[in-house]
Amino acid sequence: MKRKLVLLSVAAVAGSLSVACGGGGATASGAFDPATCQGGTLTVLNQRDQTHLDPARLYTSGGGNIPSLLFRTLTTRTRAGGQEGTKVAPDLATNTGEPSDDAKTWTYHLRDGLKFDDGSPITAQDVKYGIERSFSPELPGGAPYLRDWLVGAADYKGVYAQPEGIAAIETPDERTIVFRLRKPQGDFPYLATATQFSPVPKAKDTGTNYENKPVSSGPYRIEKYEKNKDLLLVRNEHWSRSVDPNRLGCPDRIEIHSGLNAAVINQRIAGGAGADANAVTTDTQLGPDELARLDGDPELAKRVAKGNFPYTWYLSFNTTKAPFDNPKVRQAFTHAVNRQAVVNAAGGSSLAYPATTFLPEQESMGFRKYDFYPAGATGDPEKAKQLLAEAGFPNGVEVTLAHSTHSGEGDGPEVAAALQDAYKRAGITVRLQGIDSASYSTTIANPATQPQIAISGWGADWPSGGPFLTPVFDGRQILASGGNFNLAHHDDPAINAEIDEITRITDPKQAAKRWGELDEKLGQKALVVTLFHGKDAALTGKNVKNAFVSDWTGKYDLTALSVK
Amino acid sequence: MGAQVGTAQVGTAGVGTTEAGPPPVRSARAVWRRVVADRPAVFGMVFAGLAVLVALAAPLLTMLEGQDPVTFHPELVDSARGGVPLGSFGGVSADHWLGVEPQTGRDLFARTVYGARISLLVAVGAAVVQVGLGVLLGLAAGLGGRWLDNALGRLTDLVIAFPSLIFSVALLAIVPDSFPRPLLLMLIMGMFGWGGTARIVRGQVLSLRSRDHVAAARLAGATPTRVAFREILPGVVAPVLSYAAILLPSNMISEAGLSFLGVGVRPPTPSWGQMLSKATTWFRGDPLYVLVPATLLFLTVLSFSLLADGLRTALDPRATGVARRAE
Repeated sequence: MKRKLVLLSVAAVAGSLSVACGGGGATASGAFDPATCQGGTLTVLNQRDQTHLDPARLYTSGGGNIPSLLFRTLTTRTRAGGQEGTKVAPDLATNTGEPSDDAKTWTYHLRDGLKFDDGSPITAQDVKYGIERSFSPELPGGAPYLRDWLVGAADYKGVYAQPEGIAAIETPDERTIVFRLRKPQGDFPYLATATQFSPVPKAKDTGTNYENKPVSSGPYRIEKYEKNKDLLLVRNEHWSRSVDPNRLGCPDRIEIHSGLNAAVINQRIAGGAGADANAVTTDTQLGPDELARLDGDPELAKRVAKGNFPYTWYLSFNTTKAPFDNPKVRQAFTHAVNRQAVVNAAGGSSLAYPATTFLPEQESMGFRKYDFYPAGATGDPEKAKQLLAEAGFPNGVEVTLAHSTHSGEGDGPEVAAALQDAYKRAGITVRLQGIDSASYSTTIANPATQPQIAISGWGADWPSGGPFLTPVFDGRQILASGGNFNLAHHDDPAINAEIDEITRITDPKQAAKRWGELDEKLGQKALVVTLFHGKDAALTGKNVKNAFVSDWTGKYDLTALSVK
Repeated sequence: MGAQVGTAQVGTAGVGTTEAGPPPVRSARAVWRRVVADRPAVFGMVFAGLAVLVALAAPLLTMLEGQDPVTFHPELVDSARGGVPLGSFGGVSADHWLGVEPQTGRDLFARTVYGARISLLVAVGAAVVQVGLGVLLGLAAGLGGRWLDNALGRLTDLVIAFPSLIFSVALLAIVPDSFPRPLLLMLIMGMFGWGGTARIVRGQVLSLRSRDHVAAARLAGATPTRVAFREILPGVVAPVLSYAAILLPSNMISEAGLSFLGVGVRPPTPSWGQMLSKATTWFRGDPLYVLVPATLLFLTVLSFSLLADGLRTALDPRATGVARRAE
């Protein structure tokens, strides 16, 4: 379940499954001055629309890209390029949260002068109501963590069925909100960036219809919305930079058009005719055509915003079943992999980089370099053959590899074909089993239908090692009835205990170091074959400025862009 | 596959027989003379023959080149630029005669000649199924009673009018991968493509069955089966033969179309349609990748069409224009 939701979140937030940026370099095409950046119309050309416009139903990481124009949250991501952008920043609150009681209680105070787009003040009660709304079965889709984390919230049915609310969320006054958790959660400030932490005025709540006209707390409000087509935003007069240090809100209008084809989006932004000179996209990567042109077209190359969204693609196998219950077989599969061919199949080194670790190469994730079963750049078939022989398979093995039929995705047929070729050299016969992309993730997440090996992807809901490693390797997260992401079926009490221990740490730096060490321990067990980490590269229009890319989202930030 | 409906009608009109004339049988030598006198047909014959030869000799040719169609060469593509082949003209070199495929670095020449195998094999196999079914059902309709003729007539209408492309896509998507794809393609295309042949055969049979030699055979006590296969079938060979030649290029297009839509042969097996499908996103970055399969598909289909046209003219007793030119 979580993996699917993670994918949705990326679609909702950044609008991209394919992940973001490494360098975090700025690509502004001219001098940018926040003091004079106001004015003009920014155009966003996207393939997909937001799944929903209700803050309770949006599953975002760091508040999302388009949602962050409308909804402010208790905390948010720092609007800066590179690693700086992986830090949590206070948004509605005055700081990122005050932990007490061994990180089991988190207290927030709201800023002065916060207002909704109708001029009414934003209170702590509105934030509490917004969170409780997201528990309603009528409004599914939001991040699921709070149900597990809050005391006594597991069976809460939302504000419509149980208007009394959740006792573990206290609002002692209009400006203070306190969360009481079941277990220590050092990552709570990251979670408070999710869109379900945005305020909803109870008087304006229209249930499932709220998403047609949600009340804005951000720099823009909705002028007109036509689902899967146009979302037109204009300035929210009751918002100002004096109460929001994170968003710049430069353009006067933002017009978001969805339902477009990826190649069309890239061609329009590259061409830059008319309004397309002010265009950007939040869900479309550069295509092969544009990548091939970059060398000979420095003007276009300057308009590419590159970055890294923490995402890992890997080969998953059920380690409780033969032949993958034998560590030697798993090690052989790791030695034999040709990561260069896999990276090429995933779009080349501009869109992916080889992965020997599960954690992406980011400081905030706790990245720690290791490569226990080296494959070099293109694989070590001899070593693999030797290990297979030692494991009792001197004549090689024959396995079925599942992949999604969606061409061009990290788990698509191109990557599968590259793996098939690499394994053939090591005496491993791979039969390919294409599964329709709509049912692919549910098929592999259900132990009853889980294939022998599958290409899997994992993205975190926030840039920390916890949400990256826990769902995939914590033995208590194995779900027999589906929605299982511990595809290795790995259950080691020592690892589980270590996860609990790291979860208590409230200092992100200290926690990151521990997650990195844990990743290394897991890597030694050869539970998965890591393939590659995604990179992001997206075009900006000719007039677009201040397109920095953070390592949290891998995308330029709509609240920072200017077209003037 | 929609194209078949069109060609079926053209075929029916073109090779249909008149009530009066004798069965359109010519000596093989006369037909050959007429075909070689028809320049476009000769071009078609030569190029189509070459394509068949290349397809048959695919393993030999790739051995000569020293490559194979499935091995990846990641070192031959520029990873930073999305996997465009290194070097000019899509990486053409002494080792890789037509360059390499973007992203994978697989040899394009090897994939092209092996692709010809699939494209031709499926086209010919499907034509065999189409003609086989068409002749049998056409004979049955022409020789059976009124009831059978009506029933088969409606069935033929149904098959010709059927949205076969959509149905093929659906069918190909649900059949398990373990079933051999080329065979499946032949069967599906055969199943939807026999309508035209059946109509031609039925028409021919209707005009032949009242002939003297047929009546004589009946009176002499020949069984209906013998009458059908010994007295009538030889009379339908010529129109069926020229129609089958039209079916071939139409089948090639269908295979390419289905592979283009992703329901044709499975990777890593190459086919021209599949190569074209993958090449569409590369038309600016690596033009040769698009041009090779597109040009070959175009020329091969054209050749078979020209050959079919020449054959039809040569076999048609009323079309004397070419014969006169030859004399």
